[in-house]
Amino acid sequence: MIALTRFRIAAYVRSHRAFQPLIGLLILLAILHGARIPAGAELGAMADSAAILIPVFAWAARGLLDSEPDEQRMISITAVGRREAVAGIVAAWIFNAGLAAISFAALASRLSDRPEVAAVLAGVGLHLLAILAGTTLGALTSRPILGSPAASTLTLLLGYLAVLLLSLSGQPWLTVPVMTWMREAHHGELLAHFPAVAAWSLLWPVLGLAAYARLRRSRP
Amino acid sequence: MRVSNMSFRYRRRDPWVLSDVELTFAPGDVTEIVGRNGAGKSTLLRLLAGLLTPVDGTISGRPPVVGYAPERFPAEQPFTVAGYLRRMADIRRADPREVETWAGRLGMEHLLGHRLPDLSKGSAHKVGLVQALLCGPGLLILDEPFAGLDAATRAELPVIIGEVAERGGMVVVSDHQGDLRGIPGLRRVEVGGTTARDLGRVDEGVDEGKGKGADETAGPDDPGTADPGEAEAVTLLEVTVAVSRARELADRLRGEGHTVRVSEAEVAK
Repeated sequence: MIALTRFRIAAYVRSHRAFQPLIGLLILLAILHGARIPAGAELGAMADSAAILIPVFAWAARGLLDSEPDEQRMISITAVGRREAVAGIVAAWIFNAGLAAISFAALASRLSDRPEVAAVLAGVGLHLLAILAGTTLGALTSRPILGSPAASTLTLLLGYLAVLLLSLSGQPWLTVPVMTWMREAHHGELLAHFPAVAAWSLLWPVLGLAAYARLRRSRP
Repeated sequence: MRVSNMSFRYRRRDPWVLSDVELTFAPGDVTEIVGRNGAGKSTLLRLLAGLLTPVDGTISGRPPVVGYAPERFPAEQPFTVAGYLRRMADIRRADPREVETWAGRLGMEHLLGHRLPDLSKGSAHKVGLVQALLCGPGLLILDEPFAGLDAATRAELPVIIGEVAERGGMVVVSDHQGDLRGIPGLRRVEVGGTTARDLGRVDEGVDEGKGKGADETAGPDDPGTADPGEAEAVTLLEVTVAVSRARELADRLRGEGHTVRVSEAEVAK
């Protein structure tokens, strides 16, 4: 499975399709970090970054999964069985971790002061949650699940919009609570609630990945 | 490997592609899948390969190592032939030296440094065959493997298939062109009318109790089905061909199991 994961990352990067989310990421980073981050606002900036990068992670995951032709995916399934789907998700996580590292480096370059270790760890944790949420959204809109590119793009964008709107609503437990991440980070409350927020943020991506695995059983 | 009462359709409200299919494959079997375009041959191959899951029924006893060559090899991938095949060997945990061995047998050593998107259809098809053979498959599934191949490879592929069967592998091939007729003990399965019928061994004649008679199955999609009585009759066919293509045609016909004599004096001229 490791060899298949390497193969898929190499195929995605060499196909140059990987530049699309990378360029999207750089544009977002230029807008996000145009001004220096004042001392004490580091965790809020990291929460904003994590929440805003979810669609970039979804775009990259969908692109990576879709860069493999359908027949090649069939060859991969005969080689490693149903672990092929796992290899695809792991490859997307690894690629998105690279994008998150770039975003973190850009954020670090705009800091005015040295942040607390706890704030940095929480920021890293939020980015990991964002990678998980984005990769799941990308997987659920990839070609084996949604064959039409137009329907797939629309579903990806509407999916992210739904996450934002639901987390703004009175029932934020219905989705990944990205608005709660940002609100609590900016008000200095996130560190106290981080384990609960993280567990809640994990729930929906895990359910989404389970749905993806189930759908892929009948959609190779 | 046993296919029991298997039915399949792509979506819940779609018509059945295959229903109540009963088939058995033994180690060493070479099975040719025949049927009209759109009859469900590729779907049956994908079910046998484990790519699709039956809606009803089961497929049991599938060997753990499956080699699958699709009808159209996906050449639009950003690798060289050697780079792609070495990665496939890595994924399959096969010896990377097998890449050169198989490339040599299929006459594509000179293509190893070429990029996949630059290959012709036939050359890309050979890459698909090599990746399926690399792993020493216990079950080898080939979807239209002869399409676009040159004469030498058309002659070599039945030999390779015979070798896989000799070491106990099962080989299932969909073929419109009858290139497998030279393989002893070849079995034929006909797909059509949402079912798949075992027509028995070609060299023993079809088993009329299991399906249609030979006259009914013969046709453009089903070459080579012959009545056992007629199989013994021999006739002489004279073919006029350009000198430059004579050897190629002779090799191809020999690959199909015919006796061929070429006028050497004419070729020498």
